[in-house]
Amino acid sequence: MTGDQAASVRGPAPQGRLGPLVARRLRRAVDALEQVLAGLATGVLALLVLVVVLAVAALCLVGVGLLLVPAVLRLLRGVANRERGRISAWHRPLPPGGAPPASVRAAASDPVVRRELGWLALHATFGVAIGLVGLTLPLWVVQDVTYPLWYRFAGPGSAPSLVFVPVHGLGGALLVAALGLVFLVLFVLLGPGIARLQSWPGATLLAPLGAADLSRRVAELVTTRAAALDAHAAELRRIERSLHDGSQNRLVAANVLIGAARRAVSRDPATADELLEKAQTATEQALAELRSVVRGILPAVLDRGLAEAIAGVAAGSPVDCTVDVDLPTRCAASVEATAYFVVAEAVSNTRHSGARSAQVTARQVAGELRLRISDDGHGGADERAGSGLTGIRRRVDAHDGRFALSSPVGGPTVLEVQLPCGS
Amino acid sequence: MRVVIAEDDPLLREGLSLLLRAESIDVVATAQDAASFLDAVERERPDVAIVDVRMPPSHTDEGIVAAVEARRRQPGLAVLVLSAYVEQAFATDLLSTGAAGLGYLLKERVGRVEEFLAALQRIADGGTAIDPEVVAQLLTRHPARSPLTRLTARELEVLALMAEGLGNRAIARALVITDGAVHKHIRSIFAKLDLAPDDQADRRVTAVLRYLHDDAPR
Repeated sequence: MTGDQAASVRGPAPQGRLGPLVARRLRRAVDALEQVLAGLATGVLALLVLVVVLAVAALCLVGVGLLLVPAVLRLLRGVANRERGRISAWHRPLPPGGAPPASVRAAASDPVVRRELGWLALHATFGVAIGLVGLTLPLWVVQDVTYPLWYRFAGPGSAPSLVFVPVHGLGGALLVAALGLVFLVLFVLLGPGIARLQSWPGATLLAPLGAADLSRRVAELVTTRAAALDAHAAELRRIERSLHDGSQNRLVAANVLIGAARRAVSRDPATADELLEKAQTATEQALAELRSVVRGILPAVLDRGLAEAIAGVAAGSPVDCTVDVDLPTRCAASVEATAYFVVAEAVSNTRHSGARSAQVTARQVAGELRLRISDDGHGGADERAGSGLTGIRRRVDAHDGRFALSSPVGGPTVLEVQLPCGS
Repeated sequence: MRVVIAEDDPLLREGLSLLLRAESIDVVATAQDAASFLDAVERERPDVAIVDVRMPPSHTDEGIVAAVEARRRQPGLAVLVLSAYVEQAFATDLLSTGAAGLGYLLKERVGRVEEFLAALQRIADGGTAIDPEVVAQLLTRHPARSPLTRLTARELEVLALMAEGLGNRAIARALVITDGAVHKHIRSIFAKLDLAPDDQADRRVTAVLRYLHDDAPR
């Protein structure tokens, strides 16, 4: 029913600002009535199909029912598609389901069929009941409001539904009409809700399953991919920063010093030599930093996995180092590189702590790589003292990881690092 | 000449001061970040400020921002910005404060001490020194229909040197031609590019750089 037809139902044009509101409400109530009627129709169909389904299920117990299953599935898909069409028209678009599974086994394992059966049971009972309530209310409205016109023919002392006292005369009939108006108001207020309630099982259970799954999966992938790209960008930024702040600046300084030395060479050979000495130191530093950056980008040993790389670190450790690594899957390459760097740096730090032994533990817990490096040295490690700890923190931060150091004077020293796996 | 240096790398800071002092240039203060640099400029009123682009805390363009700010606070302050790499956008920012007494050079140019000192002197005298790399970036980014395509190879060379901030005599020396020849090339370039001829070096640099910048597709 269209808006124009709905407008004709509302009677005399309402006055003032309330007018448009009342008109809109009435139109919605009429829409709701139409929905409930259509819903009642599919509900009755669902009830019939439910009876067939139950009968065939019973026949399956004695074997012959199995032959009827494909036909029942087509019936089920047909009624479900009718409901999908109804919901698409009023609520949200639901694409119709395709051909139902051909075999009994395929049907038994098909989640769509299972959800359709669930919907069938709900809509055949609950949906029909709601439909009846939704239909009864407007019927009462019509019956009661028109009562003054036909109470004479109803016989003396009779009464319409829900009026439990006999009605006498026009006064009583007008009171019944007033009651009808109350029902009208009730339906106007509750009708849309009733219609939504009736459509709810279909809207939830008949929605395409795969698409919802797929879109959730896509959303997940987008998020993890963004996180991986962020980690990647952070890593590139770190490399750029260490190249710029380290090697490049050293080389620029060496260049400046060589330039100065060339100017001084004839004038003041002693100064020139001093400048060249500084320049040489600067190039040596540049080379050392370049080496550490190159090693830090992606240690070749990681090709064989983090576990083996960590074992290699332990083998070259200055103190006796035991390793306990349990990593069932691989992390993003940049995360593994950072983990390797953390372990290598921490193990080489044990040299300063007077430790006799060290332990390295690596675990994967809830998408995180957890590293724990401890030693039995004298403790007192301080990040500000310029050990490799600052470098460790910087790299861990770049991956949104966590870094915790406990090193009381007297030991032991425990370094714990957690890195999101990023894959 | 009194100079303030802002450079966060200690080795380079020392190297620069050493070099300048050996050339009897007075390094009156050194700074490690933008804030102390601006303080030093306020206090010492140097002839030239030498500023590194990347400084703490964010290591991005603090030096550019500080240089622009120093020139705003002390109009006429000559500033030489040094950078590990050149970025045309930085040059544009700097040139917004005028090309007079402005330099923007790659750090490695310092190693060619003689040329570096000449550039420093030129800047201190109110001239301009733009790194050839910046000029090359500007020159290569032009559409095929650009009026630049009408310039001869020699004229393009002259244009590049003009954009770097060189005066007529310096251009003549660099290209081993006579002053008169340089003059002739410049007249021809300005005519082809529809620019008003100007013998004042820094105004000429501004005109040429603006021309190159506006002509480049962005």
